[in-house]
Amino acid sequence: MENIDIPSTARTPRLSLDVASRVFLLEGESYPEDTKKFYEEPVSHVINFLSRSHDGEVVARFKFKYFNSSSAKVLMDLCTALESSAKAGNQVLVEWHYVSDDENMKELGEEFSEELSAARFTLIEY
Amino acid sequence: MSDSVLLQEEETLARFQALLQEGSAEIPKAELEVLVAAYAKLLKNLSRLIRISDKNEQRLQSISDELEIEKKKMEGIADQLSRYLPKQIYEAVFSGDRTLEIKTQRKLLTVFFSDIQGFTHTSSQLQPETLTHYINKYFSELSAIAGKYGATIDKFIGDAMMAFFGDPHTRGEKADALACVQMAFEMQTRLSQLNAEWRDEGLQYPFITRIGINTGWCNVGNFGSADRMSYTIIGGEVNLAARIESSCEPGGVLVSADTYALVRDYFEAEERELLTLKGIARPVQTYAIRRPYEAGHAPERPIDLSIPGHDALRIDPPALTMPQRLTLIENLKRAARQLEGNDHEHD
Repeated sequence: MENIDIPSTARTPRLSLDVASRVFLLEGESYPEDTKKFYEEPVSHVINFLSRSHDGEVVARFKFKYFNSSSAKVLMDLCTALESSAKAGNQVLVEWHYVSDDENMKELGEEFSEELSAARFTLIEY
Repeated sequence: MSDSVLLQEEETLARFQALLQEGSAEIPKAELEVLVAAYAKLLKNLSRLIRISDKNEQRLQSISDELEIEKKKMEGIADQLSRYLPKQIYEAVFSGDRTLEIKTQRKLLTVFFSDIQGFTHTSSQLQPETLTHYINKYFSELSAIAGKYGATIDKFIGDAMMAFFGDPHTRGEKADALACVQMAFEMQTRLSQLNAEWRDEGLQYPFITRIGINTGWCNVGNFGSADRMSYTIIGGEVNLAARIESSCEPGGVLVSADTYALVRDYFEAEERELLTLKGIARPVQTYAIRRPYEAGHAPERPIDLSIPGHDALRIDPPALTMPQRLTLIENLKRAARQLEGNDHEHD
């Protein structure tokens, strides 16, 4: 599988997948002009990666400052895929990073954690 | 193919719509379980999305409120700042027309200087509160007239005011010079009224003002350091305007030959002797402004104010200087009001 590394822009987050270290990262702000166009191909690649069996822990790192509602839907689909991967036997860790005074982003992370039971979830303040 | 992020949900819907269209009497239980699971997931996601959306909206509203507070704060600061900058420069900077860099250019400007005769003595005789009251009133009146004519007020230096026409906006050298002389004439007219009012209020020292005007090429722009700069004008022609002002008779308007050449069709003036001014190499021809020309330029005849039983008073207008003329006009107006029994009214 190929790695992904899409740099961030003012409206879109950095999106990367390091296959060797099994780390998937979404970082920045997300309100793309065309959400489907931005996420479809890389997210499909990530879901394909999650559907495979991995020897070590898979880490999904979310480090958002802001995301809009259509991006939230993409995140829900990713959480479903992460949970399915964990249920299929992979060790999956979901890290939700938030800025120390951003209570809103912390609460959004807690929202997404409700989707996860087989996958581990952790909130990280920075 | 859908262009939304709800592809899975749309596919589920399409699948069951197709089943219904097939017309089967019953939908198999296994299919119904898929439908129920999809619906439950959809409901859960919808519920979560609503919460997320509400939180985002709340957050955006809070940011918007903070921005509105900051905006109001900035507007207040800008308003305060505007009082320390020439109006035109403030507007140019805040509209983004003028970059804040040290850059100057040569321009043909008409430069105005004024100061109050004997102000050092006046200020030593008045209580600080009284002085502050009258000097602020004095500059407010001058600034209002300057604003009316579109002058760029450069600065106030003690009792002196420096202004110019021709930058950042110019209406042409002739219109700029004319606006400046008209402004100066209106200032002196207004000051003769104010001094009469202030005398009635008990102010013993009138603010008799000298005004000097010159037109010439000056360096205009931002002068100073990168940290602190002033938008101002410098050059020999600026110094000349200041020197002319110091040679002006109190209550008058004295202009250079270059300014007079631009306004001679509009103002009657008296040629003064060549002035040899400190720091200016060549002798300078100046003109004392008398008054604006009336339509038709009718020659002025002597005015006789003779009342039986009283001394006769004969006034020869062409012999009056501008300060004398303005003072006389104001005194005659006040005398007329007093005779009519309305001496408490002012124009």
